[in-house]
Amino acid sequence: MFTKILIANRGEIALRILRACRTLGIGAVVAYSEADRESLAAQLADEAICIGPADAKHSYLSAPAIISAAVVTGCDAIHPGYGFLSEDEGFADVVRAHDLTFIGPPAEVLERFASKEATRRLLGSHGLPTIPGSGMLRDEAHALGEAERVGYPVLIKPSAGGGGKGMRLVRNPRELESAFKVSRSEAKAAFGNDALYLEKYLDDNRHVEIQVAVDRFGNAVHMGDRDCSVQRRHQKVIEETPSPALSNSARKELAERALRAVAAAGYENLGTLEFLIDAKGDAYFIEINCRVQVEHPITELCTGIDLVALQIKIAAGEPLGLTQADIVSTGHAIEFRILAEDPGKDFKPQGGQIGAYLAPGGPGVRMDSHIYPGYDVPPYYDSLLGKLSVWAPDRAQAIARADAALREMLVDGVMTNIELHRAILANQVFIDGKVTTNLLDRVGSAPFVAAGNR
Amino acid sequence: MPARQQNASVGRTEAQEALRVRRDHEAIGRLADDLLPALIAKLAASGLGEIEVRESGWKARLRKPAGADEARRAAARASAESHAAHGLAPGRPAVGHGKGSEDRDARREDGEEAAETEPGLAAATSPAVGVYHPRRDLTIGTRVRAGDRIGWVDVLGVQQDVIVPVDGLIGSSLAEAGEAVEYGQRLVQLDPLERVDESGDPGAQGRPAAAGNA
Repeated sequence: MFTKILIANRGEIALRILRACRTLGIGAVVAYSEADRESLAAQLADEAICIGPADAKHSYLSAPAIISAAVVTGCDAIHPGYGFLSEDEGFADVVRAHDLTFIGPPAEVLERFASKEATRRLLGSHGLPTIPGSGMLRDEAHALGEAERVGYPVLIKPSAGGGGKGMRLVRNPRELESAFKVSRSEAKAAFGNDALYLEKYLDDNRHVEIQVAVDRFGNAVHMGDRDCSVQRRHQKVIEETPSPALSNSARKELAERALRAVAAAGYENLGTLEFLIDAKGDAYFIEINCRVQVEHPITELCTGIDLVALQIKIAAGEPLGLTQADIVSTGHAIEFRILAEDPGKDFKPQGGQIGAYLAPGGPGVRMDSHIYPGYDVPPYYDSLLGKLSVWAPDRAQAIARADAALREMLVDGVMTNIELHRAILANQVFIDGKVTTNLLDRVGSAPFVAAGNR
Repeated sequence: MPARQQNASVGRTEAQEALRVRRDHEAIGRLADDLLPALIAKLAASGLGEIEVRESGWKARLRKPAGADEARRAAARASAESHAAHGLAPGRPAVGHGKGSEDRDARREDGEEAAETEPGLAAATSPAVGVYHPRRDLTIGTRVRAGDRIGWVDVLGVQQDVIVPVDGLIGSSLAEAGEAVEYGQRLVQLDPLERVDESGDPGAQGRPAAAGNA
């Protein structure tokens, strides 16, 4: 096991990793940018080190700064969290070259799964149904031909990244022509790689993902699914487990197929396979996330497994110590991403100073957040203030507990999306478990909030 | 000022040639010793990206490296923080010292928090996280100019220069040679030159005008 881990991330996930280190009895150093000097993780850590300016390019995205910080503080491993360098195979490789361990899949595994398009082919060859799509697009003419073959509507997607950047829905050749260049330049700007591919767009689809863990000895388990269909502009807003979209037999079959394919393809460490479920209930693999997910707490609430601790153990070369029979998922859990955004300004992210802050409590209520009264939310990074996760024996009770918790939660000083969450909870489509990924964008977030306030 | 006015005269002797070479070297020496530091200071203070000066046959052009402004701002902020700019030992948490709002800084200035360093002094700060190597030829009282390199930080084998943010005199060291330092850490205190020039005695005045001038 490691003796000391450098936490190369910020916000709530830095805190989450710090907590896992403490639970495991491992030392931890929080690496922070100048803008995060006052962050809770930096304050609570036994050790913290400033690695660069606010600009992430020179701090959380700077491999030399992070590795140098690990070296001078005597760490033997680096936890990259999510985002930033968490799935960067080049970074993982350089980390290893400095005799440090990257907490995540080994560099060669990351490399194998780096291209979304190639991963789709790889896992398709191991038995996963994939969504109809194209190979890498050479140019606009190629794109037009492929779109015709796949059939409109199609999504233009960057091969390198996630988070909805560079992604465009086009319904006809004319839209494709105008969107192609924009997607290419957005992908280039966001990921330094402008490779694009096409994917058939399923109207009214649901987003369901399977959590897996594989050790280097080939032991592999899944921990069920998460439904992330409540999205705004391709960004997840609410996640829940188990998915109301799947029957128990369909759920079991999807999880087992996903696990078999990913283990056969040589995956290692924590991973999440994302699927789209169409109106008929058929699942199509879309991509894999080779890291801990933002929404991991709901899986932890239902299975009782500390996923971050497990991730660290696997990276340290320990066996899973779990078989599929050991994993029992009970009850229902829902997570709400609490974001600093202004509902009056089309949910534009915003910074500011937190005034009063009160985290909700009660049975089955968990708050993962790095904010505190007086904390300045830096404007440089994402707008995530924290995650409220709620567990209850069944979905209806989970919704009731969630609403009580959201009413209790107090975040002063910045605008948040708490009211949007309450409005979604009160919406009949959500109560019926029938939300599709396009619902929020189709109806509009503002009408949702307005309806909830009535 | 430096000049290269010798005629390329037809009957140039070896002695003349040697003299020309020597004068050239002297001119280059003057350029390096006098002109360049002054220009660097001007450039640093100006907010301009580039300065070019022509003098007789010579021309000098200075361009600010990308990120120099940031370093300057960081230095300015560091010097404005009169409170607790902790000289962090490796492994000590760099927490609790405020970089937050101005009123918070002001509050601490009122003496809520004991300052480890003399208040109001400018400092050269670390450009990166790594191992600190000061230049060995500098001692307390050495006069330095904005832009001077007074050491480097070793980042995985790559040297990153420690640059003086303001004209001044080298003050006490806040980090040891070979010590692990973090980004923005204060490494060497500087007595600003204005104060020296006014009083003639770097130690005499209580409250230097360091804060705003970096």
